[in-house]
Amino acid sequence: MELLTLGFLLFCIVLVIIYYLVPKTMQWWVLLAASLYFYAMSGIKNMIYVLITALSTYAATRMIQSLTDRQKEWIKANKKTTSKEERAAYKAHIQAKRRAILVAALLLNFGILCTFKYLHFLIAQVNTVISSFGASPINDTLKLIIPLGISFYTFQTMGYLVDVYWNKCPAEKNFGRVLLFVSFFPQMTQGPISNYKDLTTELFKEHTFTYHHFSWGAQRMFWGFFKKMVVANVLSAYVQDVFANYASYSGITTLIGAFMYSVQIYADFSGYMDMMCGFCEVLDIRLTENFERPYFSKSIAEYWRRWHSSLGAWFKTYVYYPMAMVKWNQRLGRWSKQKLGKTFGQTVPASVALVVVWLTTGLWHGASWAYIAWGGVNGIFIIVSLWMETVYASWKQKLGINEASWGWRAFQTIRTFILVTFIKVLPEVGTLSDGFGLWKQIFTNHTIPRSFHALLPFVDKKMPLLAVMIGTILIFVTSLIQRRQPIRQWLEDHTNYAVRILIFAVLFIVIVYFGYPASGNGGGFMYEQF
Amino acid sequence: MEELLEILNDINPDVDYSKEKNLIDGKVYDSFSIITLVSNISEEFDIEIGPEYLVPENFNSAEAMWKMIQKIQEDED
Repeated sequence: MELLTLGFLLFCIVLVIIYYLVPKTMQWWVLLAASLYFYAMSGIKNMIYVLITALSTYAATRMIQSLTDRQKEWIKANKKTTSKEERAAYKAHIQAKRRAILVAALLLNFGILCTFKYLHFLIAQVNTVISSFGASPINDTLKLIIPLGISFYTFQTMGYLVDVYWNKCPAEKNFGRVLLFVSFFPQMTQGPISNYKDLTTELFKEHTFTYHHFSWGAQRMFWGFFKKMVVANVLSAYVQDVFANYASYSGITTLIGAFMYSVQIYADFSGYMDMMCGFCEVLDIRLTENFERPYFSKSIAEYWRRWHSSLGAWFKTYVYYPMAMVKWNQRLGRWSKQKLGKTFGQTVPASVALVVVWLTTGLWHGASWAYIAWGGVNGIFIIVSLWMETVYASWKQKLGINEASWGWRAFQTIRTFILVTFIKVLPEVGTLSDGFGLWKQIFTNHTIPRSFHALLPFVDKKMPLLAVMIGTILIFVTSLIQRRQPIRQWLEDHTNYAVRILIFAVLFIVIVYFGYPASGNGGGFMYEQF
Repeated sequence: MEELLEILNDINPDVDYSKEKNLIDGKVYDSFSIITLVSNISEEFDIEIGPEYLVPENFNSAEAMWKMIQKIQEDED
């Protein structure tokens, strides 16, 4: 089901009415029915993969939980009559069974994800290698269509599976509840990737309709529509043009296109989050926030804690920490401390873990060398800044830089935004060499455009560009206000009801006037493809 | 507890560990410091701290870390 349609709006209205009419204990059943209906509308065949993920996770978590309970009971009953070694042997026996179940469920679910996402890429790489030896290539005739949201719901569900394995939360007994956790429609196509405890606490509590929730939720939805339809969709046409024709544009035009892409992807992805978080607020459900004004970050590492933060949190919990704590990596860290010195040596386990995290983050975003390189570049910046932390500190001291000063913080923010923009465009132009080509164009083509058309050749009408510029300024100002308090609270404190109605009426007109004509540029959302 | 405070002071000596209750949530320690901390605790107390223990509640204060260490030692018995 397309989100920017009247059909979706109608679906939301009907859902809200039924949701608040049924007894409160039945509300989550309404959400489950709505989620399954929503997903079925994207293709009934895709339902089978969601069901496999939900069923396999339900079965695996129940089996793991049963083994955990059995172990606890056995230890309790035999603590006084067994030796420490006997108890350790029993624990190891149970742990081996638990691990086997975990690995089987992980292999099945990540196997499905990898088949859909990476099989074509893998065959292409194998063909490149075997062709160089003169062998005939594998005929890739499979027509795999990636099921909607599979990267998001698979990661979220596997997080729950590992949490049960780690005894962070008990296994859910009710399959319907697990199915809702997997398929909850506002977040299954583009996240946020929630953890089980946080999301289910919200889903399964009793929800009461309040005007405050309705009003604040609707305002946030409206703001999300504005960001997506006016800013992201209008910019989409400009950016596509620059990415397709950068070789014939000046460096400055290409650079503007790159910055436009940064604004576009933020307006697109955060616009989606605003729409869905707003809709969930109407339902009295608080979703995990995915953005915290990321373009105000002062380093790449900080940026990744504030952009798509639920994905970053997932990688931190389930990849970074386990990789950093694995025995061989810890031994490597101890060896490095002895051989390379304490300061550098203690960064080694984290650096190794970061390499794995960033290469997999790149692959998560897309099956191409461009995305792997994109992950690698992000990782290099983060790892090098970790290694250089003490060096930078001494430089700053020698140069007398006051880190708390406004000027230094502004410099860090602007520097990070520029770096992030350059890294972002790398996989988006096409192939990896196209990405590097765009970088080269920016740095080597010094042609100075002599007219507005030469500077922005992709702009055929000035009014949509003006709307985008005003929209971008509004997003910037809103972000500044949100550093201190939620913008909706600020509006309530500083404006009366009539002014707020007027503001949203203007936004509505702008959406209709500029957003609808641009909806053909990028009707879907950019993160849906991941 | 003495050994734990020594480890903590070695990583960040500018914190009053008897009062600070927000080491993680207050961003005093980041994910890199956590790894260094966990490595040093594992080495000093000869315990295995699995990733399941890496939650803010276990690292927000010296007291919480001490409780976690004792729990792991008990479980290993």
